Amino acid sequence: MPDDVPLRVHLATMLFAAGLRDEAVRQVGAVLQRDPGNAAALALLQAPGPVSPGDPTTAPGPAAPSGPTTAPGPDAPSGPDASSGPAGAGGAGQPASERDRPPAPSEYDWTRGEAEVGDTVPPMFVGGEPAGPGDGDPATAAFDVERPALRIDDVAGMTDVKQRLEAAFLAPMRNPELRRLYGKSLRGGLLLYGPPGCGKTFIARAVAGELGAQFLAVSFADVIDMFVGQSERNIHELFSIARRNAPCVLFLDEVDALGQKRSQLRHTPMRSAVNQLLLELDDVTGSNDGVFLLAATNHPWDVDSALRRPGRFDRTLLVLPPDRQAREAVFRFHLRERPIGGIDPARLAELTDGYSGADIAHICESAAERALLDSVRLGSPRLIGQADLEAAIGEVRPSLGPWFDVARNVVSFANEGGVYDDLAAYLKKHRML
Amino acid sequence: MTETGRGLARARTMLDLKRHAEAASLLAGIVATDPGNGTAWCLLTLAHLGAGRNTDAAAAAERAIAAAPASDWPYRLASTVQLRLDNTRSALQAAEEARRLAPQEWRCHLCVAQATLATKERFDDAEAAAAKARELAPNEPDVYLISGKVSLERGKRAEARAYQERALALDPEHVGAMNELGKIRLRRLGGAAAAHHFAQAARTAPRETAYGRNVDVAVRRAVASVIYIGSLGTLALNFLAVEAHLSRAQILLGLLVVLAVTAVVGAGQYLRMPAQARPLMRQRSSVLALAVSYGAILASAAILALSPASALPAAAFGVIVLLAVARLAAYRILRRKPDRAPGTTSG
Repeated sequence: MPDDVPLRVHLATMLFAAGLRDEAVRQVGAVLQRDPGNAAALALLQAPGPVSPGDPTTAPGPAAPSGPTTAPGPDAPSGPDASSGPAGAGGAGQPASERDRPPAPSEYDWTRGEAEVGDTVPPMFVGGEPAGPGDGDPATAAFDVERPALRIDDVAGMTDVKQRLEAAFLAPMRNPELRRLYGKSLRGGLLLYGPPGCGKTFIARAVAGELGAQFLAVSFADVIDMFVGQSERNIHELFSIARRNAPCVLFLDEVDALGQKRSQLRHTPMRSAVNQLLLELDDVTGSNDGVFLLAATNHPWDVDSALRRPGRFDRTLLVLPPDRQAREAVFRFHLRERPIGGIDPARLAELTDGYSGADIAHICESAAERALLDSVRLGSPRLIGQADLEAAIGEVRPSLGPWFDVARNVVSFANEGGVYDDLAAYLKKHRML
Repeated sequence: MTETGRGLARARTMLDLKRHAEAASLLAGIVATDPGNGTAWCLLTLAHLGAGRNTDAAAAAERAIAAAPASDWPYRLASTVQLRLDNTRSALQAAEEARRLAPQEWRCHLCVAQATLATKERFDDAEAAAAKARELAPNEPDVYLISGKVSLERGKRAEARAYQERALALDPEHVGAMNELGKIRLRRLGGAAAAHHFAQAARTAPRETAYGRNVDVAVRRAVASVIYIGSLGTLALNFLAVEAHLSRAQILLGLLVVLAVTAVVGAGQYLRMPAQARPLMRQRSSVLALAVSYGAILASAAILALSPASALPAAAFGVIVLLAVARLAAYRILRRKPDRAPGTTSG
């Protein structure tokens, strides 16, 4: 029963007692994956050596480190110290039938357990509470029409982006009367661009949620499938689905793949696919039937200029690497289900200026790996700490350098008509230009 | 369409979209299930090449040759890979084998021309192969690109320029030809003119950062030419001061002339630069190099003007040493990592 948490805790305790530390660490890890707040498992992590937190199914408290501190030898009792009581976990003196009995979760006093580990297990996060929630699944499902629950307020930080999004897209969408009064057209879509891993897809979902619209995302894999099959028909079908589900935000992720400059394409089907896309865009914007167009790209300079003409993707929004507040939220998100203690997300955010959201995920992964290896090496499991994360920050370099190299090139030599002025301003501000 | 066929079509699309790493992953799966598929191995070679994994590309090209030994494509790819690995002899052998297999294929002749050129010898053979490619494919811009490279190596600048202009006439967005034109101009100390071509290439293919770096190189060359002229003028003043026993006023007048000439040359270079390259002329390394050079010029004039007649020969020697050291220092500053991007001229 892989999901039987009490059983796993019990098994981990037994393994510790038997001196099988690596396996015990694995079991504790599995428990914390399923139940991050499991007091008994956390107590095991906190213990300096192989400990017996007590069988959570029978013992009164999970945190009593009453077991032997050295691995039992052949003559040593294989179970924990008898002082833990007759119901000590896997006591050697117990009848086999009792030892093997599956634990009954209801017998464990969670309140007392929590109180007992209160002093030994540090709080997961230290410092203030986050300014805004940053959770949500940024992944998009291919051709799945969904109604995202996200809102723009769920996007932590990134105030500039949100303000520009509001002005360029959301305010006219939400205020039809004012729109009519000022003669503001709804024609055209919004192109989000910026370095990879910085939340463009997340923002697109939040926009759909904000508009109360369905969300239809087209990923790079879908695009490739379109080109391999009957691309024109596939693209038409895609737009048909969007129209059938109106109001719907049609989100073309990595639009540079779908709308690549035709001059760069040798593959004939792709050229016709771009033409079909242009036709569909004109149809959507012309009939204005509740299909809102959003697209994202890391390489706007590769997008066919025809796609960016008025009435198509004529508005652009630069999504830059997460600001401090957003980075803090990203740290909280990626650490929320890991065994952590004493983490200061504000400090971590301060140390990661210029890192993308994907980089931060990598940092959290590296820190977890570090703690895990340490636990295996020392035979004593421990929580992921601030030091692990800071060490990981030192090891993981920001991945955005190559993107900014190209961006600098574009701003220097291909910023015709000031299309990339906002990018130029950012580069100048950060002394990259 | 079979599953493999669909996979290859996907891979071709990915390569067209420059998704080299993703294409390589896809193709690795295809060759694992169908190891005798020569096309898949060739595409995998291309994917590795695009991703900059030259050693993997070499291994894939070998497998492509084994899978399709009668086709010229794997040999052409192998030649390209070997060139990337600086194995010019192997590259030439592979190219010649491709030509033997498909003597009417212009790409094979072009491949031979390119590989021969890389050996830095037998330029006549390279020229003959390029000529054959031109004959077989007179409307292919790439044959003129390689022909121009061969001509440039043979010192025929005008011919090289004509070939590159022909390539551009056939394909106005041919960034390789733009880059080559820049290199031709650069050889004639035409920093500003070269910068125009490099900037055009950078504008046309902004994802390729090498062209932007080449603009930087052209700018630095222009700054270096101003420093060179200033140093030369000061040396002439130095010579006249000793030989013609110039008075202090005449030395100061000479200094003004040198400064005026260098200022005019510098301003000319600046104004002839494309607008996008002008900020690079104002970058820290350029300004610092000019400051060092001008400082040495002013110091030289002061030494000459203040030295008594009897000490002039020794002062002149000191000025020569000072100018040489200053020029070396200025060039060293100019060769430093650029303020905006690392740079060397790319081929």
